[in-house]
Amino acid sequence: MSILAIGRTASARVSDVRALVLAARSVAAAQARLVPEVVRTTGLSEEGVRLAFAHHLELYPTEAELLSLVAGASEASRVHVILSAGVFVAALRALAVARASAPVVTVRPSVRDPVFARALVEALDDPSVSLAASREVSSIESGEIHVYGRDETTASVRSRARAGVVVRGHGAGLGVACVSRSADLRRVAGEVARDVVPFDQRGCLSPRVVVVVGDDARAAELGAALHEALLAASAQVPRGLLSTEERALATRYAESLGFAGRVWREPDHIVGFAPQGALLVPPPGRHVHVLAASDVEDVRRKLEPLAPFVVAFGTDDPLLAAAAPARARVSSLGAMQRPPLDGPVDLR
Amino acid sequence: MPEPFDALATDLARFQAAHVPGYARLCHARGLDARAFSRAGDAPAVPTDAFKLSRVAAFAEGEARATFRTSGTTLGARGTHEMRDPTTYDEAALAFGRWALASDLEPGHATPVLVLAPSPDGAPDSSLSHMLGLFVDRFGEPASARGQSYFVEGDVLDVASLDERVARALLEDLPVMLLGTSFAFVHLLDALGEAPFRLPSGSRVMQTGGFKGRSREVEASALRRDLAAAFDVSERRIVGEYGMTELSSQFYEGTLRSPSAPIGVYVEPPWARVVPVDPETLMPVATGEVGIARIEDLMNVDSAFAVLAADRVRRVPGGFELLGRAPGAPPRGCSIAIDEMLAS
Repeated sequence: MSILAIGRTASARVSDVRALVLAARSVAAAQARLVPEVVRTTGLSEEGVRLAFAHHLELYPTEAELLSLVAGASEASRVHVILSAGVFVAALRALAVARASAPVVTVRPSVRDPVFARALVEALDDPSVSLAASREVSSIESGEIHVYGRDETTASVRSRARAGVVVRGHGAGLGVACVSRSADLRRVAGEVARDVVPFDQRGCLSPRVVVVVGDDARAAELGAALHEALLAASAQVPRGLLSTEERALATRYAESLGFAGRVWREPDHIVGFAPQGALLVPPPGRHVHVLAASDVEDVRRKLEPLAPFVVAFGTDDPLLAAAAPARARVSSLGAMQRPPLDGPVDLR
Repeated sequence: MPEPFDALATDLARFQAAHVPGYARLCHARGLDARAFSRAGDAPAVPTDAFKLSRVAAFAEGEARATFRTSGTTLGARGTHEMRDPTTYDEAALAFGRWALASDLEPGHATPVLVLAPSPDGAPDSSLSHMLGLFVDRFGEPASARGQSYFVEGDVLDVASLDERVARALLEDLPVMLLGTSFAFVHLLDALGEAPFRLPSGSRVMQTGGFKGRSREVEASALRRDLAAAFDVSERRIVGEYGMTELSSQFYEGTLRSPSAPIGVYVEPPWARVVPVDPETLMPVATGEVGIARIEDLMNVDSAFAVLAADRVRRVPGGFELLGRAPGAPPRGCSIAIDEMLAS
């Protein structure tokens, strides 16, 4: 990696990113003004929005993390960022990655969820980082476009971008948690719940599948403990609103697991356990599928069909990290949705 | 006087709650007692996903005499439908297939039945190939006089042999029954280009299924129009069939049967019902509203009499309309949608 990037040294780029972080702190400090609007645009509960501000906005990155973020960034004359909706604080990381790449950044917030990104740009108050005037990517003449969202969104942007403009897609994915044979199930259930609750599982780091090393009885026990933990969590942070389609998919998942195994269904969550390692991915919305695997190799085997989509892998046992799909972020349980600000969340 | 549908359905539901462990669990999870069911709609439907996760059978493993599997996979799993006695399936398929496709043909008529799908031997776990094999055997020419009947092997469509077979039927002035999957018909149209492929007068075509990434996607009415033009038959002689591995019954457009039957409306046999239900509450929607298909199939004796499909349907006079797959939840955030994983 070159030390000079379009006229900026690495330390200058770190400074630019740090300025964004400082701006994020001022937005967080004034969150009371934003919370109602974020609740309205994201569908999260007020408690869910406050949780995100308090624990999932990277306000105090270390120097090493910022250096890592800068070292992994591309080099471009300018970057145009297209954000997706849902995980509203993700705008900070997206802008940080863009700012590390280029001296000039424009950002197009999601129409459905523009509040935090706008506030961040306003708080930064730097003409080098601005909201995009045009929504048409074909008007971008040079540099890079960073797209966050579904693969088809990236493909659509790629098809419309001018020749010479580099399009970098940050696609959708999901998280997987893996629980060791010796884990205290009540404790890890609480940790998994802490990973499930933020953003009502709309982030790609959130676990929607939990693999328990052991037999079916142990996996079912984890399912019951996770149900209790999510029940307790929703008393603190109620789930927000789900769309009609999300609720329909949740019903379908619950009915399928009601047949195939065991289902714990509450107004704010669903936990499903399927015996014999059967895998079905539930829709987002605090819905978790639990299955058993006999050992680390079996974990890998069970996750194989999901591997291309796994962005985050959380476990209580570092030895189980060997089962993590390539390029998944590996973390402790309870910390899956708090990755360091050291680059994009999606390393695939 | 036959027993009413509801009486048969509730008997079946009680039998399945007693002998299909998953169905007992589903009833329990819903807080339902099968003994209290008085109408078909009281019994919960088994989602098609359950056939991928778990055994859906009222008999011991090893007793199955036929095992059908879905063609599509969900994260590596295929839905499985076991039958300990496929006779029920066979009789139902033949009875309603004859009603929809062959009622104007005299028994023993030497109708060439030509299949754009693998043979039952080539795809032994395909319920569609099994059914089409029945039609070849029972609606078609006697085995001794029969030429080639199947024109798909693996993924290859044998257009030359089909052409030869149709040419012979034209010479003999024998109407043919051309049966196949939608994507096979698209491949045939692509292979034909602008060239006509006239079928003998009186021929009929049955097309079924979606595309599942196996050919370019063609809108249903456009496919019907293109097939009618290529085969030089009326659009009303292109009959849509709707079925699935998880069922033992099929549904057909009635256009060949009745001059007034509308195109796009599927008809149920007397032993099956399609009920549009709200996808969240699973309660029947108001007449004329769109819901997902809850299919009550009395021929599913040993598996699940009620199946919850992922297809959107609407009741209309004379039957129901098929309106495509229920949409996945629109993306919010970067959490991947289930249909996005399936599309990869």
